[in-house]
Amino acid sequence: MSIASSMKQRRTITTAAICVVIVGVMFALPRLGLSVYFMNTLISVFIWVLVAASLRLLSLSGQGSIGHTAFMAIGAYTSAILAKFLGWSPWITMPIGVLCTMIVAFLVGIPFTRVRGIYFTMVSLFFAIAVLTVDQVFNKYTGGYSGIISIPHLFAYNKTPYYYFCLAMLVICLVIMYRLEHSRIGLTWKAVAQSYSVASSIGIDEVRQRILCLVVSACFAGIAGVFYAHYYALLTTETFSFNQGITVFVYMTVGGAGLFAGPIAGTAVLLIIPELLRDLKEYVPFVYAGILLIVLFLMPQGLAGLPAQLWRRFGPPARRKVGGAEEERKRVA
Amino acid sequence: MLLEIRALTKNFGGLIAVNQFSMDVAESQIVGLIGPNGAGKTTVFNLITGVIRPSAGKIIFDGKDMTGKSPNVLANAGVGRTFQLTPLFTEFTTLENVVASYYLHPRTGFWDAFFGTPAYRRNEAYALEQSLKILELVGLDKVKDELAKNLPHGYQKMLGIARALAVQPRLLMLDEPLGGMNTDEIVFTMDIMAKLRSQGMTILVIEHNMQILDLCDHVVAINFGQKIGEGSVADVRNNPEVIKAYLGEQNVA
Repeated sequence: MSIASSMKQRRTITTAAICVVIVGVMFALPRLGLSVYFMNTLISVFIWVLVAASLRLLSLSGQGSIGHTAFMAIGAYTSAILAKFLGWSPWITMPIGVLCTMIVAFLVGIPFTRVRGIYFTMVSLFFAIAVLTVDQVFNKYTGGYSGIISIPHLFAYNKTPYYYFCLAMLVICLVIMYRLEHSRIGLTWKAVAQSYSVASSIGIDEVRQRILCLVVSACFAGIAGVFYAHYYALLTTETFSFNQGITVFVYMTVGGAGLFAGPIAGTAVLLIIPELLRDLKEYVPFVYAGILLIVLFLMPQGLAGLPAQLWRRFGPPARRKVGGAEEERKRVA
Repeated sequence: MLLEIRALTKNFGGLIAVNQFSMDVAESQIVGLIGPNGAGKTTVFNLITGVIRPSAGKIIFDGKDMTGKSPNVLANAGVGRTFQLTPLFTEFTTLENVVASYYLHPRTGFWDAFFGTPAYRRNEAYALEQSLKILELVGLDKVKDELAKNLPHGYQKMLGIARALAVQPRLLMLDEPLGGMNTDEIVFTMDIMAKLRSQGMTILVIEHNMQILDLCDHVVAINFGQKIGEGSVADVRNNPEVIKAYLGEQNVA
């Protein structure tokens, strides 16, 4: 086995070990005496990590969205309204909510994928605004600005089962997303993102792939949405405002959109640090802005790329690569 | 005939880029499409591969009407192409570029890939194995783990051909494959083209570099969107219209 591949294998094993440890610690936390307040914070981190990760999944196919919370809203409201007004069990309405999100994503995907790049991002913003407007127009059911309240709960008024359920759900979703990204599907999406003309020249129906990516991504956003609805039991227009859509985009970018761990790191840091610094009160936004600036200027790969960046800077000097493109060129010539 | 083009016309507003252009490509031949800058060669290419839709005329590939079909449909039918300005999947490695191009053969369904079924894993292993073979053929196996954007220009051109071959085309369309290559690379590329022809591949090639004529079985010359000459290499070389297009009118002093 060559040095490069054995090093790669060692790195994979290390990464896998770190993941297992993190997940293990997260599962053990409630037993180690986690305050209800902090448990609540962690649950919100789990929810937003899922949304940010689903946004990154969408960006694999070259589509950036700043209105991704709209898909969350569709899942959340569908499930909440069915559970509250028809009295169905949340366990039934939650899958229906996710399914509705996917159907809507498919229907809007057909016109939306006709535009690419920044134009798609703009359309995603219009979509988010449209969803919020629908929410206000049908305020008989959605409650409009005052919101829809006392949505049926999943579990009794104890946060611990929510914590376990949400964590398990997040881990499963992340594993699925990771597998998707590293399969032929992810490869195809990345190909479409890099050049649609080359992608179609090798037989990829790029519009179809982008719709598919949107539907899959919306599915995960929908899952986060339905859980949100039944956990907080309260949905208002504010919850899924387009500010929130941009915030999720920031979570992903600060964490590092190029790395799978990016949205996880970004969401965790940007949600937990303000909680830890609560005593600073009105100065919290300054800290928040400070983090953003430091990351944007000093960490091109985002927060998740920091370990590798530090390793390159302070770790042992890299082995010189043998047989690079230039050398090979000389050999042939 | 593998490819038949009949009275192909393309207007961009008032500009007639291609006018009543007809040509045939016979199987297992290398057909050259030559002409000066702005003659409409690349437009013809883009019309055949479905990147742009013709205003009039017909494109028949393998007996089926392919006029106005989208590029992925053409690829599916067996047309592989390269691009003049070598757009690649720049963030992929050389190997990933070719593996990603094994999208059609074998084709994997979403759920197969999702669950990683044995059929899917078999297909992926096959794609990897074939990709390595193609890279070996075009001499890029030594740089398979380099990012495509870091490759020298000549290698990027070769990678374009490798990617087109992964589509398992019946017709390979090369847009200026020799452009920007050094002498060694030109010889190497032409060797590969000859090798592919001997394996039964049909190649339609656009080129400025007249060295390509040594290889062509049939040549079509085009200027101002119109065919000005056609035939064997010798015919086209001696065609007064072609000479005029390349060298200008003779000065009668």
